[in-house]
Amino acid sequence: MSKQRLWPRRHENTKKNGVHVLPFHFIFFFFVCFAPSWPTGLQSSLIAADNARQIVEEAQKRTDAKSQRYEGVLQVFDSKGKIADKRWTFERLGSHGQSKVVLRFTAPAEVKGVAMLIVNHPDRASDQWMWTPAIERDRRIALQDRSTRFFGTDFSFEDLEERDVNQYDYTLAAGDDATVDGAACWKIQSTPKESKSSQYTKSIVWVRKDDYAFARIENYVKDQVVRRMAYSDIQNVQGIWTARQLEMADLRRGSRTRLTLEKLEYNVPLKDEDFTLQAIRRQ
Amino acid sequence: MSTATAIELDRVTKQFEGKRNVMALDSVSLAIPRGEMVAIIGPSGSGKSTLLNLIGGLDRPSAGHVRVDGEELSNLSDDGLTKVRRDKIGFIFQFFNLLPTLSCLENVGLPLHLRGWTRKKVDERARELLDLVQLGARMQHLPDELSGGERQRVAIARALSIYPPILLADEPTGNLDTHTGAEILTLIRDLHARLKSTVVIVTHDMNVAQSCERTIALRDGAIVEDVRRRAASPGEDVRRKHTGVGAPE
Amino acid sequence: MTLLRLISWPYFRRHVLRTLLTVAGIVLGVAVFVGMHTANHTVLDGFSRTVDRIAGKTEIQVTAGETGFDEEILDKVQSASTVRVAVPVIEAVVDTNAIDHGGQGNLLILGIDMTGDRSLRDYDLESGEDAVIDDPLVFLAQPDSLMLSKEFADKNHITVGSRLPLGTAEGEKPFTVRGVMKSSALTSAFGGNLAVMDIYAAQKMFGRGRTFDRIDLAVRPGRTIAECERELQTMLGPGFQVEPPSGRGQQFEAMLAAYSMMVNISSAFALFIGMFIIYNSFAIAVTQRRSEIGILRALGATRRQIRWLFLGESAVTGLIGSIGGVVFGVVIARGIAASIGTLISDVYGQTQSTTEALATDPRLLGVALVIGILTSLVAAAIPARNAARVDPVQALQKGKYQVLSAGESRLRAMLAAVLGAIALVCLVAPPLTSASRQAGGARALFYLGFSLVIVVALLLSPLLSLGLAKALRPLLTRLRPVEGVLAADSLIQAPRRTSASVAALMLSLTLVVAFAGMARASYDSIINWMQTALNPDLFVMPSQSIVVRTIRFPPSVGPDIAAIPGVERVQTVRDARIVFRKTPIMLVAIEVASMAQTAQRVPVAGNADQMYRRAGAGEGLIVSDNLALLQHLSLGEMLEIPAPNGLVRLPIVGIIVDFSDQQGTIFVDRRQFLKYWGDDSVNVVRVYLKPGVQMPDVRQRILERFAGQRQVFVLTNAELKAYILRVTDQWFGLTSIQIAVAVLVAILGIVNTLTVSITDRRRELGVLQAVGGLQGQIRRTIWLEALSIAVIGLTLGFVLGAINLYYILQIVQYDIGGMRLDYEFPYPTMLALVPVMLAAAFVAAIWPAESAVRGSLVEALEYE
Repeated sequence: MSKQRLWPRRHENTKKNGVHVLPFHFIFFFFVCFAPSWPTGLQSSLIAADNARQIVEEAQKRTDAKSQRYEGVLQVFDSKGKIADKRWTFERLGSHGQSKVVLRFTAPAEVKGVAMLIVNHPDRASDQWMWTPAIERDRRIALQDRSTRFFGTDFSFEDLEERDVNQYDYTLAAGDDATVDGAACWKIQSTPKESKSSQYTKSIVWVRKDDYAFARIENYVKDQVVRRMAYSDIQNVQGIWTARQLEMADLRRGSRTRLTLEKLEYNVPLKDEDFTLQAIRRQ
Repeated sequence: MSTATAIELDRVTKQFEGKRNVMALDSVSLAIPRGEMVAIIGPSGSGKSTLLNLIGGLDRPSAGHVRVDGEELSNLSDDGLTKVRRDKIGFIFQFFNLLPTLSCLENVGLPLHLRGWTRKKVDERARELLDLVQLGARMQHLPDELSGGERQRVAIARALSIYPPILLADEPTGNLDTHTGAEILTLIRDLHARLKSTVVIVTHDMNVAQSCERTIALRDGAIVEDVRRRAASPGEDVRRKHTGVGAPE
Repeated sequence: MTLLRLISWPYFRRHVLRTLLTVAGIVLGVAVFVGMHTANHTVLDGFSRTVDRIAGKTEIQVTAGETGFDEEILDKVQSASTVRVAVPVIEAVVDTNAIDHGGQGNLLILGIDMTGDRSLRDYDLESGEDAVIDDPLVFLAQPDSLMLSKEFADKNHITVGSRLPLGTAEGEKPFTVRGVMKSSALTSAFGGNLAVMDIYAAQKMFGRGRTFDRIDLAVRPGRTIAECERELQTMLGPGFQVEPPSGRGQQFEAMLAAYSMMVNISSAFALFIGMFIIYNSFAIAVTQRRSEIGILRALGATRRQIRWLFLGESAVTGLIGSIGGVVFGVVIARGIAASIGTLISDVYGQTQSTTEALATDPRLLGVALVIGILTSLVAAAIPARNAARVDPVQALQKGKYQVLSAGESRLRAMLAAVLGAIALVCLVAPPLTSASRQAGGARALFYLGFSLVIVVALLLSPLLSLGLAKALRPLLTRLRPVEGVLAADSLIQAPRRTSASVAALMLSLTLVVAFAGMARASYDSIINWMQTALNPDLFVMPSQSIVVRTIRFPPSVGPDIAAIPGVERVQTVRDARIVFRKTPIMLVAIEVASMAQTAQRVPVAGNADQMYRRAGAGEGLIVSDNLALLQHLSLGEMLEIPAPNGLVRLPIVGIIVDFSDQQGTIFVDRRQFLKYWGDDSVNVVRVYLKPGVQMPDVRQRILERFAGQRQVFVLTNAELKAYILRVTDQWFGLTSIQIAVAVLVAILGIVNTLTVSITDRRRELGVLQAVGGLQGQIRRTIWLEALSIAVIGLTLGFVLGAINLYYILQIVQYDIGGMRLDYEFPYPTMLALVPVMLAAAFVAAIWPAESAVRGSLVEALEYE
């Protein structure tokens, strides 16, 4: 399967997008938003005031919410075209940097009840636990393991977490004429600072100039793109522009994973005590 | 050091110790000049084989001196004696003592192998020697496949392998019929004439004794007669003393 | 070289049978050496290779003996600054008897954390071409998920989705194969019988609670392994072993030390016996080839040349024999390896893969060749020297026999006396310097003494066998006036011919006596121990094998069983191998107070009441007698045992005889164990029944109580004892293979001697026939000669064996198992050996006797 076909063929909605749909959004959300103001000295042909940090700040502001819930459909297309479907419910509570997420698989039957708890911290890596009801065991996902694939999808565990934005540097990348699906975009490069351990050497983020929506993210290891995320089907949900379909391609394996957001709601009432290890064990 | 004398015995005594002591040689003195062909005769137990063994460095005297080619044997170590045997002496035995498992060529080459000659040189020399004893056609035969006379010829060729200055023969015809014995004797005489080596033959065959230039008779470990013949022609012996030696046993 | 070709080769060719027998002596000696060592290597290598392959990129492993440790240790290790990645591991070996065809045997289950493990191990779950696992999430979500090596799956025709029943702590459970690993180094570990499952599921399935067996880790780039080891050791304390994967191989090797020692002793004996066969053959050959030597000497061969001719022959014989031995050894190694594997899993609880490739170490084979040749050279040294001494004059005189050994026997006797005196000094000396008893010097002296005793026996064997032959003469004469005398005289007139065979026979019998004596003493001690220590009515275990500790009970099993009607008392035991003073020993956690009431044992050192009271109160440790001997411990000594939760510092309050482990055992009260090791699992539950209760009923109730919940095996007292005795049998059974070989070699020696004897006496036998001797009489002469050799060999063998047994028991006590065994001469075995050896001698004589009768056959053998 060619790389091109991994991407949505058309961009249905060119309005603003929301970035709060999945934890892995936050990565980019945060490093884009809270990057220290840093004169890039590059690409002066862009809107003068729009340095990397401001672009990201704006994008974040437009997608703020207290909580979020949706039912996700996860489809993995491997290199042979085999498709595996899974469903989960996703609940997120709290503000950026301190949010907590519970993911709970609902289908197929074999994985029903398996849950993930992700507790993000502004100053360090998130804590992640997995709960497997059949053996009634929780397990920590160790820091060292965050680069591994998230249960056979094309996401890694690292892609699930929010990170401290101060651990990244941002610059506007070359190519002011960048367009994604016909929409003009800023290309912003984020690089983890030395103190930050990440599987990625750098990432390039495409942010649409018209609505500050994310269009595409490419993650690099050394000089090679290894994972590429595409956003599509952007709709306005409760005033927040949200991509209803995300697709992560693992370019090394030649597979991709599509996540479709169903029953998406923002600012739903969620209780803090449901976002603990004890809580995921109960259910 | 007299180089004219090939073999010299000076009051040589050999005593065998055992349950009862046997005096095999009793103060025997003897000189054999270079190039002489000598027969040693005497009855069984007279000490003639012992004498030969002492000359050949196979054995040591109990007293006295043995000099071979000017070399004093009594002072030599076992290895020294072996060296004398190697360099100066060729043995011919009554029972041939060929190794039955080796071909004629190999048997003849054996002493040369012991001297560390290369295989090529050994083969060359062995062929030459077998031709010399007129067995060139039977080189690859095993001793078992040969007649007694032929075997002895092989043994003679072996004894000659290094063209030793001294040839010692212990009853070379003792195990052969009269006719063959005469042939062998002729061969030895021929070789002696051609090679000019000193030959000592222990025998009780009077024919053999008579064909030698000199006959030494032993009895009870002592020389009882020492006869030199002027002519080399057989049958014309001039005996100084008759001691009855030579009677068939 | 030319000489060898010209002189030796025809001789060999003419004496094919004798040459073969000579070579066979070396073949067997070398084969035993190669076979035993290769088998041993195979097992050790198999273990190491499995460790290596499973270790993958692991640079350091953290373990706490066998006990495992709390999960929290993982966080600690992961937080270490020098650690790049650290992953937990649980290993369990399960029997796959459910697979009926081909007996695939054991399957090694590797419990790992699927999320992080791949950074160390290369089972690619997700290779693009070959998706080996259907769905990782399903794999984790379902505890019955199993991922098999391609090798195992192919062998057993298992595909993804198949069900595979495995015995777990919760009883036999069907597992679902959810993945097949592509062939790689990892999947070939444990002979390819490898399966991977989720570590948390494995914890549950194998009753591990929340513990890990091991942490595998890789060092952060830029840091050294040594730095990492230091950091972790400091962080975790001495209760943990922090070492490269190869360290486990070393521990395994240390555990097998006792076994390896046995192998070495037996191999040495086998070679020794082979040496005598060679000596025998060459001594005979020199005598027979005297005239040939004489000719060569007359033709100018030096003594040195003659000596080298024979040494050259022996080197060639040794080389050929060694090559044969190496080949044969490799052939038998497979069988031996299998039996060692069984032994190891039965004795040490270390289940071995049965499908490992043979580890034919080229160096070992090289060493075997060198040893074979050296043995042969040493054996031929004396005959070669004698050959060099052959007097050419005498040699050339037909029919005259030169007695080369004149004066030699006097020299021998003197040498024997001197060496014997030294041996005696060696034996007596160590106690004199008892302060240095433990010192290596004392041991060296002891072994020197041992070797000297053997040497003395060998030196004296010609004299003794001559003496015995003379003593036998009247008896034989009375038995068979004609044949008896002929047989006896044959022995008496050629003591050289006989003595080497007798010596070989003596040596092999010595070996038999020693092992039989050791076996008998061990049996007595073990039975004695079992009577007192193993007196519960029933033993309840989570695994079929008492020594397999990878599957365990939770602590609740104790009370559960106690509640079953008819049960009077229950004692839970947890035993685990730990590393103590760099040696893997057994730690046994027992309920001391309860044990004191039911299985009170009399300590070797210490007062029983005090011992149980103080150990029960957690104020002391009880150690086994063998541990005390091997580690030089004494009563009252303060022991420091590193445990995961800190250093245990307790005095020895008693020393008891115990055969739980060859390297030694420490008994600790269960409460102390819980405190320091934090491990509440149970290996064995000892169950005492109420008086008058039917054992089968209770057994049934126990099985019913746990049916469907967990895997439970109930052994009766008698069954357990039978099991232990069977293991003991296996232990000695393996050595009996070597004994069989030794006896075989001895028989070869007899055949050799008789063949030569017949050749030598061909004329005599011919004369006998010519004067009207019947064929039957000749036959009987040969038979009697063989039987006489056997009788002499038996007599000397028993005497030397009796002495040897003493030394072997000493070795067992101080250097192998630390077992204090009583000296008991193994009369039953010896009595059984008499007819066996006589029969063997008779069998050995049949063919030579027939060939003696049929002159043509003799000629075919020996035409000269």
